[in-house]
Amino acid sequence: MDAQKVDLFIMTNGKFFESHQINVIRDRMLQIDESKWSALSVTQFKDPTTILIVSLLAGPLGIDRFMIGDTAMGIGKLITCGGFGIWTIVDWFLIQKATREKNIEKIQRFL
Amino acid sequence: MSLNRNRLYIRVIIASVVGYVWILLQVTKNNFSNNPFRVCFLKQITNIPCPSCGTTRSVTSIIQGHFLDALYSNPLGYLIFIVLLISPFWILKDLFKKTNTFLQFYIKILTTIKKPKIAFVLIVLVILNWIWNINKGL
Repeated sequence: MDAQKVDLFIMTNGKFFESHQINVIRDRMLQIDESKWSALSVTQFKDPTTILIVSLLAGPLGIDRFMIGDTAMGIGKLITCGGFGIWTIVDWFLIQKATREKNIEKIQRFL
Repeated sequence: MSLNRNRLYIRVIIASVVGYVWILLQVTKNNFSNNPFRVCFLKQITNIPCPSCGTTRSVTSIIQGHFLDALYSNPLGYLIFIVLLISPFWILKDLFKKTNTFLQFYIKILTTIKKPKIAFVLIVLVILNWIWNINKGL
């Protein structure tokens, strides 16, 4: 893929991934075929900051986990009053990383 | 699915152990009304019960044989009771026989739940249960 397009993608979507993964994503994107660009450019990623706000406000109900696609963890959180409140607090610190990991899983389908 | 078998089994076993310890503590203590410590984060902050408030009372009622009380406390208690009763032993069986039947069942249930129609019904049920919880004043 064209280096200019890849850099544009990284500039716009860099915040959705872990910083140490960005170089790998860039290298992989440079290797893949041009035809994947259209699908890749319209892919929606979850914003870690938005999920963090949801986690702060609706963490005990597991909405944050449901939003990133972790349905099982969401149900687990919902039926245990947010993991007795402890899991809710732990997730305030872990949810951004979890969101970025989900984004990586999503982009790996193209790479 | 990114979740691998051992990771799932460890998570479920840890959750089950925590659940058993918690239920055991509550059954032996048996004094909810005198207990000032509330585990529900939402209730502590807003004084509104969450959809799963009353589940511990429900499970302890089931253990003591008061099935109607359990249903009144929170119907989710039945779900938790069944999960706690079955999942650890199923996982242990899987680990000994080196099969992955629990993982397959888990994936099947998850894909079923994620279907929009079923998800909608479940969400409505949870919201109704929540409204009921608030009306009961748990």
